[in-house]
Amino acid sequence: MTAGTIEHAVCLGCGCACDDIEVVVRDGRIASVRNACPVGLAWYGDGTTTTLVKLRGSAVGVDAAAAEVAKLLRTGPAMVYLAPDLTTEAQRAAIALADRVGARLDSVTSDTAASGLVAGQRRGRATATLGEIRNRADVLVFWAVDPDVRYPRFLSRYALDPVGTQVPDGAAGRKVVAVDVGDARGAARAGSRVALTLANEAAALAVMRATVMGRALGDLSPALEAAAELARQMMGARYVVLVHDAEPSSSPADPQRAEGLTGLAQALNGPTRCVLSSLRGGGNRSGADSAMTWQTGFPFAVDFSSGAPRYRAEEPASTTVTRMASVLIVGAVRRIPDEVARGLAGRRVAVIGPRASDAPFATEVAIDTGVAGIHEAGIGYRLDDVPLPVPQIVAGPISAVAALQAVAAALRSTGAA
Amino acid sequence: MATPERLRIAGGAVHDPANGIDGEVRDVCIEDGRIVASLPAGTPTVDARGMVVMPGGVDIHAHFASSSCNHGRRLLPEEHAADPVPAPALLDDEPPARSGTGGTIPTTFATGYRYAGLGYTTAFDAAVAPIMARHTHEELDDTPLLDAGCFVLLGNDEYLLRQIAAGEQERARHYVAWMLGATGGYAVKIVNPGGIEAWKAGQRNLTDIDQALGASSVTPRAILDSLTDAANDLKLPHPVHIHGNNLGQAGNSATTLATMQALAGRRAHFTHLQFHCYGGEAGKGWSSAASKVIEYVNGHPEHSVDVGQVMFGPATTVTADGPVEYLLYSTSGRKWVNIDVEMETGCGIVPYSYREKAAVATLQWAVGLELFLLAKDPWRVVLSTDHPNGGSFLSYPALIRLLMDRTAREEQLKLANPKLLAGSALADGLSREYSLNEIAIVTRAGPARLLGLAGKGQLGVGADADVTVYARDGDIARMFASPRYVIKAGRLVVEEGQLRRAPRGRRLHVRPGFDQSVVRDLRKHFETFGTVAYDNYAVRDVPGEPVAIGS
Repeated sequence: MTAGTIEHAVCLGCGCACDDIEVVVRDGRIASVRNACPVGLAWYGDGTTTTLVKLRGSAVGVDAAAAEVAKLLRTGPAMVYLAPDLTTEAQRAAIALADRVGARLDSVTSDTAASGLVAGQRRGRATATLGEIRNRADVLVFWAVDPDVRYPRFLSRYALDPVGTQVPDGAAGRKVVAVDVGDARGAARAGSRVALTLANEAAALAVMRATVMGRALGDLSPALEAAAELARQMMGARYVVLVHDAEPSSSPADPQRAEGLTGLAQALNGPTRCVLSSLRGGGNRSGADSAMTWQTGFPFAVDFSSGAPRYRAEEPASTTVTRMASVLIVGAVRRIPDEVARGLAGRRVAVIGPRASDAPFATEVAIDTGVAGIHEAGIGYRLDDVPLPVPQIVAGPISAVAALQAVAAALRSTGAA
Repeated sequence: MATPERLRIAGGAVHDPANGIDGEVRDVCIEDGRIVASLPAGTPTVDARGMVVMPGGVDIHAHFASSSCNHGRRLLPEEHAADPVPAPALLDDEPPARSGTGGTIPTTFATGYRYAGLGYTTAFDAAVAPIMARHTHEELDDTPLLDAGCFVLLGNDEYLLRQIAAGEQERARHYVAWMLGATGGYAVKIVNPGGIEAWKAGQRNLTDIDQALGASSVTPRAILDSLTDAANDLKLPHPVHIHGNNLGQAGNSATTLATMQALAGRRAHFTHLQFHCYGGEAGKGWSSAASKVIEYVNGHPEHSVDVGQVMFGPATTVTADGPVEYLLYSTSGRKWVNIDVEMETGCGIVPYSYREKAAVATLQWAVGLELFLLAKDPWRVVLSTDHPNGGSFLSYPALIRLLMDRTAREEQLKLANPKLLAGSALADGLSREYSLNEIAIVTRAGPARLLGLAGKGQLGVGADADVTVYARDGDIARMFASPRYVIKAGRLVVEEGQLRRAPRGRRLHVRPGFDQSVVRDLRKHFETFGTVAYDNYAVRDVPGEPVAIGS
């Protein structure tokens, strides 16, 4: 649209995917955005983007660029990498390309939230969609995360402030506890805090789980006693919500944290009800996990080279990419982990995605496409796997789906399989 | 062989129970995706002489394309690793062949290929949380070869419970109609009415249909009444599809019979009935109550069931019934997923295995077979394993053998643990053997009729040209596991036992009319308690025209 107001737009700035966003468009640009947090405002920007298609630095048409991407994908070993800001329709089209050419397939999850997903595969999960938190939680425990920093509306929209069916007084009806692990602080708005270190965190989680399961504990250090006492408080709640950040931050984190929290949440469903909410970054990362799972069986780190999907979760994409001859990045290239970007040095790289032509490294092919939820309509998944319709706000370049279909057509016409 | 617009399937023994044809050798003629009366000479022909011809299979109840299933897939990488599924060598490249993985919950493309490989051409995902319906439609877009739809979970949803508490049945009916349209659903699915909300709210479960939910006046009986009447008043093609309270518990047949009696005289379908037919008492012992329950079903033509047979081997329990899965987790120690789904329902997943040496598993196996073998009307007793809960849909051929071959049943019984089979009709000797005609009923004609799909499950003129051709084999399981030919919407998709084409199927959904005044109330409800805006809730662009209502 060139002018008008879009109500109930869905922001993919972070995994909260707030869908009460109001966007005003004038002269084909985003003039204002209401209800978005600073992360969302930065994500929307003014809606302008680049609209170039380049082959080794020179402007070409999409079909010519797509043909080169097809050739590049046949230069094995190849990887297709899902970056953020794609609709699931585009993610599915990208997965199809990887399947067709027997490539490796991975996503940002591989270098960020993987440990939590793998923990889930070992143990399972006890979780809920965000509306259950809003409507039921009477005790919130923020484990080494303050959502205000990277998920600014999580507390006001989903967790702490809103009135709920079982929490008619909103924030006044909830108790908030922060568990600080080293310098990774829990919610600043907590009414009480428990201080742990990286060194004693795993033991604390074990003590908490043992407390919930009624096991006898010997003498505990003050920190572990505080943890045990927190577990006892949680057992007395009606609906406990444990919140952690599944994404890495500047503070170091134990990769076993997610598994420990999962075990604790599961155990708490004996004496009471408990769910673990895992915060995720933006750009439809949960959508990539979901689409990869239903198409391949695995949420990330897939290897199609034997003719069927194989799981390679033991190796993050940042390592795998260094062994590839060619890499196709699909999605917002500037939102991929730095370690993946560094691993591209010496690879033949093509990018199909928002601002592909502005990639911070050399590319052979760059096809600019739009951002899901700004330039491209489709489906985006919230951090709790609820699928939402993301709208097109302003016109953009060729869609990611169309560009990927052009690559698929090029592969078909040359009989690649 | 090229796929023409016209195709004659010549000389096979046709089993088309809906049209009274029981093994008659005759041609089946196809033109433009439909069955026609005749075709000119020289039409491309499939030689089916000596073979058995049936309509394509119709799976009334399976879990294969939903958010819950996907969480199940994610939970089981070890199963996928053990069962890689390379892309088939198709003759057409559009849509392109895709690889995948199997196990108890295969990936979407593999699911479509494997169903077609069994000769199934229509299937329904039986449990979709409304807020996740958009996910289901994405998965169905990636599941080729099946005409497919979904049943939408109601009965623990916040809005409905409020209407029931307030006595607002008319508004409840409009809400049900709105919900089916908003989700692109086909039928109303009820799971543990009120029990899932009880689990989420801390009451843990509702095990009696007259037990109140919290401090409210709402009971499972009231929920069942409201939804059953809504579905019947809306003249939906398939009635309420009910997974009753107290699944999987010793003595639960009493709850099942109470539920059926509560709905006596009203159309209703009771699903995976096997899991609801246990005698005995919790903590004290188990027995089979299949005889008692099927006797009731036999006497109530307004009720239909699918069996939910347990097959020995691996399974994955995937259900909205959160409290049941918590119990299974706490007694089995296996991995466990629980997801509370806001304002609507739940999800529980526990991988499982039914072992012949386990007494309870043997009892479950026996109960299912008793339901089949004691049923008087095969048109109302559908074959299912509640895939993947009782076993994979790939076990249907083995189940068919058990139904058709008493010796096969007896041989399996000898290997099983008889500890809980005292008084079981199967252990006492049930000699009935299903005929091919009865198999055609319980796997095709019956479910199609119960689903209100006039064009499915039959080979009369005008029917959809979904046809399966089996080469006769003394090994019944092998015969049904590998059809020689499968035709889907008039196109030959399996030839000489090989998958050759994988076209997309149709989406089957309904869109009942409703009074727009309910929308105002719903908007208010969403604004007050929801986290998804009303305007973002409905699935847009559900493909295909809705199935007619009231026909």
